[in-house]
Amino acid sequence: MRDRINKLSPDADVSYRERLRILRERKIEDTKDKAGINAFADGDDYGAVKPPDDYDFEPVFNHPAGTFVGYDGWSENFYRMMATHPVFIDPCDAFANRWMNCMAWTRPIKFNPDLNYDHLKPEQEKYGIVSGIGSDAHFGGDYDIGLSLGWGGLMEKLKKYRALNPGHDDFYDAEEKTIRGIQEWTRRTVEAIDEALKVETHPDLIENLKQMRDCNEHLIEGAPRTMREACQWMCWFNTASREYNRDGAGCQLDETLRPYYERDLAAGVVTPDEAKYYIACLLLNDPHYYQLGGLSPDGHDMVTYFSYMILEAADWLDSSCNLTVRVHENMDRKFLHTAVDYLFKNKNGWPRFSGDKALSEGFMKKGYSAELARQRVAVGCHWMSLPGLEYTLNDCVKVNCAKVFRLALDEMMAAGGEKSTEELWRRYDAHMARAVRVTAEGICFHLENQVKNEPELMLNLISHGPVEKGLDMSHGGAQFYNMCIDGTGIATVADSFAAIAQRVEREGKLTFDELYEAVRGNFAGPKGEYLRMMLAASERYGGGDTLGDRWAKRISRSFTDQVNAMDEIFAPVKFIPGWFSWSNTIVLGKAVGATPNGRRDFEPINHGANPHPGFRRDGALTAMTNSICDIQPGFGNTAPVQLELDPGMARGQEAVDKICDYILTLFAKGGTLLNINIINAEQILAANENPDLFPDLVVRVTGFTAYFCLLTPEFRKLVVDRILVA
Amino acid sequence: MGILTAIQRFSLHDGPGIRSTVFFKGCNMRCAWCHNPETLSFTPEVLYYQSKCVGCGACAAVCPSHTVKNGKMVYDRAACSDEGRCAQVCFSGALETCGFEADVQRVMDEVMQDADYYARSGGGVTLSGGEVLLQPEFARDLLRALKARGVSTAVESNLNVEYSVIESLLPDLDLVMCDLKAWDEDIHRKWTGAGNERIKRNIEALGRTDKPMIVRTPIIPGVNDNPQEIAAIAAFVSKLPNLMYYELLNFNPLGESKYLALDVENAFSAARPLPEDRLGALADAARATGATVRVG
Repeated sequence: MRDRINKLSPDADVSYRERLRILRERKIEDTKDKAGINAFADGDDYGAVKPPDDYDFEPVFNHPAGTFVGYDGWSENFYRMMATHPVFIDPCDAFANRWMNCMAWTRPIKFNPDLNYDHLKPEQEKYGIVSGIGSDAHFGGDYDIGLSLGWGGLMEKLKKYRALNPGHDDFYDAEEKTIRGIQEWTRRTVEAIDEALKVETHPDLIENLKQMRDCNEHLIEGAPRTMREACQWMCWFNTASREYNRDGAGCQLDETLRPYYERDLAAGVVTPDEAKYYIACLLLNDPHYYQLGGLSPDGHDMVTYFSYMILEAADWLDSSCNLTVRVHENMDRKFLHTAVDYLFKNKNGWPRFSGDKALSEGFMKKGYSAELARQRVAVGCHWMSLPGLEYTLNDCVKVNCAKVFRLALDEMMAAGGEKSTEELWRRYDAHMARAVRVTAEGICFHLENQVKNEPELMLNLISHGPVEKGLDMSHGGAQFYNMCIDGTGIATVADSFAAIAQRVEREGKLTFDELYEAVRGNFAGPKGEYLRMMLAASERYGGGDTLGDRWAKRISRSFTDQVNAMDEIFAPVKFIPGWFSWSNTIVLGKAVGATPNGRRDFEPINHGANPHPGFRRDGALTAMTNSICDIQPGFGNTAPVQLELDPGMARGQEAVDKICDYILTLFAKGGTLLNINIINAEQILAANENPDLFPDLVVRVTGFTAYFCLLTPEFRKLVVDRILVA
Repeated sequence: MGILTAIQRFSLHDGPGIRSTVFFKGCNMRCAWCHNPETLSFTPEVLYYQSKCVGCGACAAVCPSHTVKNGKMVYDRAACSDEGRCAQVCFSGALETCGFEADVQRVMDEVMQDADYYARSGGGVTLSGGEVLLQPEFARDLLRALKARGVSTAVESNLNVEYSVIESLLPDLDLVMCDLKAWDEDIHRKWTGAGNERIKRNIEALGRTDKPMIVRTPIIPGVNDNPQEIAAIAAFVSKLPNLMYYELLNFNPLGESKYLALDVENAFSAARPLPEDRLGALADAARATGATVRVG
C-alpha cells in the first residue's frame, strides 16, 4: 500500500479528468505491486491493493482441528479483521478504502472437518466433478436493501426480526458483529481522513477530503442521502464483502444510482461531470459486475441517459471494468453502438453483452414469470442472479465431460465387445447421467451443511429472507434455489466423437484399436503424431454443420435433460444447466489423458462453450457463433461466446454497425453471453515475452477481466493460443 | 459446376453488411501485385507451406515429387502430377490443394448458414475471385439460387469481358463492385497484362443501368499512387449516376506467403501499404473531382 497523501503541488491541475488520469496511473503502480503474490494471480482484477508490509492478520480458531467455522467463527474473525484492517486514502479519489485481504485465504483448513462427504468423493473423483461443496458467494444481493437502510437501519432490522425468531440468536449475533466490524473500519477511516487533512496542501483535494470525511462519518450509521454517499456505501459493501469471501456480484447499476443523481441534480448539489467522476471512482474501487440496460419487470427498455453516463465514466477511467450491456430486440440501438465503440476504443474487454431473449425465456421454462426473469441481471463472471432472491452456486459446480468421455472410451475398449461411436455414446451418456446425479447429491449436501462451514454473513444482509427468517442464504434463507451445474469440455468431447466417426467409421483410415493405441500412448512417435494431426484435422465443432457440430448438439441436449431431471428428484431445489469452464480449463485438462480429437495427455480442455482453436480455416465468427447458439441448454444460464477480435475490425462507423448487427443476430439466435477481447496479436505476443512492460494491458480471460501481467505463464498461454489461432 | 478457391464467411469488407464471399478460381488478368495469386489459374494447385512441414513423409509415399532429406521435405513442383493426393495425406497444413469443384447446392449449404446475419445487417453474398465473369453460367445459377432465397447479391469483377456477359447476370445482382486499376492505358496494360478500354466501356454501360455500383482502385506503390492517376479515375466515375462511392484500397501485402507456397516470384514482396497521410492526399485528389470517396 502506497502513501498517496499530499503528493501533488498546491497549484496542480486536479480537474475530474486529471484526477482519474492520476488514479489510473496509481492503479498501474498498485497492479505492479501485486505481481508475484499468488492470491492475486489468475483471477479478476478485483481492485485490491497490496497490504502494507507490516500488516498481519492471524485468525482465531473455533474448531479444534485449527480452523474457523460457522456463524461464530466467521463473525468473530471478520470483526477482528475489520477492526485491524489498514485504511486506504487517496485524496484524488472520491471514495475511501480498498480491500487487501480475504477471510477465506486465512483458513488453514478450507472446509469444516466435521462435515463428511466421503461417500460422494469416489464418484466425484471418477467423473472429474468440481462439486461446489464449501464454495461461497456466487449469487447476487439486492443493493437497494442496504442503500435504503444503511448500517444503522440494518441493525434495526436485525433487532426487529431477532424478536420475531427466537432460537436464531447465533444468526443475529453473527450479523450484528459483521456490521459492527464494518462500522469500526469506517470510524477508523474517518480518523485517517482527519489525519490526511492535516497533511494535504492542495486546496481542491482538501475540499475533497472534507467531503469524503463527512460522507463516511454519516455512513457509519445513516443511510446514503446523496449519489456520493450511495457510491461510497457501495464501496464499503463491496470491499467488506470481498474481505469476507471475495463476493463480486454487483447490480443493475444505472437504475440503482439514477434516482440519487436526479435528486442531487435537482437540488444543485452535483454536476454531470462530478457524477461521472463518482461513477468512475466506484468502478475503480472494485470492478464488481454491473449490468446496464435490459428490460424492466414490466417490459420497457431500461436504457436512459444515465446508462450512457456510466459508459462515459468508464471511458474516462479507461481501465479494467466488468460492465455488461443487456441486449434485446427493442433496445436503444444507439446505446449498443456506443457500447461497441467503447469496446474497440479502449480495448479493455468492457462492456460485454448478455442476451435478454434466451436468458429470460429460458428461465421462464423453469416455472418463473416474465417479470422475475427480467430481473435476473448479469452480475457474475458468466452468470445472472435475481438480486437477493436466489441462491445458486453459480460458476462453482462443473462436470468434466472430457473425463467422462475418456472413461467411457477406456471402458468400451476394455470390454472387448462392440466398438462403434454409438456404443461409445451409450456408455458416455450413461456415465454422464450418473455424474449429474452425483453432482446434484453434492449440491444438496452443500445446502444442508454449508451454514456450519461458512455462512453468507455479508450477502445475507442485502437479501430478501435471511434476516426476516433468521436463516442463512445457503440454508433456507433464500426464496429460490436455482443451482448451477455447468458442463465443461463440450468441444473436446464432440471433436473426439467426430474424429472417430470420420476417420474410423466413415473413411476407414484407421481401426478402433489403432486409434486407441495412439490415444493411450499419447500419440507418441512419428506414427502417433501423424495420427494425432489427422484426427485433429477432422470435422470439428464450430465449423458449421459439421460432424463435430452434430455431436455437440447431441451432447448438450442429453446433458440438459439429465440436469433438468434432477428437479423432480430433489424438489424444491432446481438445477440449471450451462456450458462454462471458467479458468478450470487448465485444471480440468490436467485430469484427463489424451483424447481422440488430437489433444495430448493433460492439455487444457476447450474453453467454455468455444470450439478448440483452429476449428475452421477462415475462423468465421458466424460459424462459431452458430455452433455455440445451437448448443445452448436454454434454461436461463449461459454458454458464452468468447471472441478475440483485431482492433482494425471496427474501423469506421459502418464497421461498428456490422458488429452491432452481429451481436443482435447472435442473441436472436439464442446466444446468452458474449465476451469480446480486442487484442492486437503483436502486442499480446510481446506482452507474453515480457509482461512487466505491459502493466496496463487488460484481457478478458473468461467472463472476467484481468491484467495480463498478473496471469501465470499457463494462463497467459491460454489467452495467447486463442488469439494466435483466431 | 464451378471451380472455387474458398468460401469465406463473416466478411466485413466485400460490400454492405455482413457477407459471405465466394472466391472463383481463374483470372484473365495478371496484376503484378495480386494478393490472391492462387486464384489466377483455372486448375487446382498445390500450395506448400514449408514452415508447417513436420517431415512425416506421408506425401512422399504417394508422390515421387516429394522426398525427405535431412528431416526436411523437398518438393519438386515441376515433377508433381499427383492431382493433389499429397495434400490429401498431409494433416500438418503444409500441403494443401487450392481449388475445388462445387455445385450450386454445395455453396448454398455453406452460405445460407449465415442468412440471419445478412438479413439483419443488409449484407449478403459476394462473388469474387479470380474473375467471376469467366464462369458466367455457374455465377448466374448461384446468383439465381441466392435471389430465390431472398439473399442480397454482389459481384466483384475486373469487367474485362464482353458486356453481354455482364448483362446476363444483372437481373440477379443487387450490387456491382469493379476495379479500375489505372487510368492510363499503357500503365494498365504494363501492370495487369490487359488494356483498360473495354473495362471503361463496361463501366460506362453499367452506369446507364439502375444497378448500384462501387468502383475501386487498389493503390499500388510505384504504379498508380499519384494524384493524377487517381483524380482521372475519380473524374470518370463521378459521372456515373448509380455510383455509391469510389473506394481507394490501400496496398495489401498479405499475398506474400501464398507466393512462397506456390513457388512463384512476388514482384511486390518489398512493397508496403501507403502511410495514412499519403492515402489521405490521394483521397483528397479524388474528392476534388466531386466523387464520393471512401478509403478502405
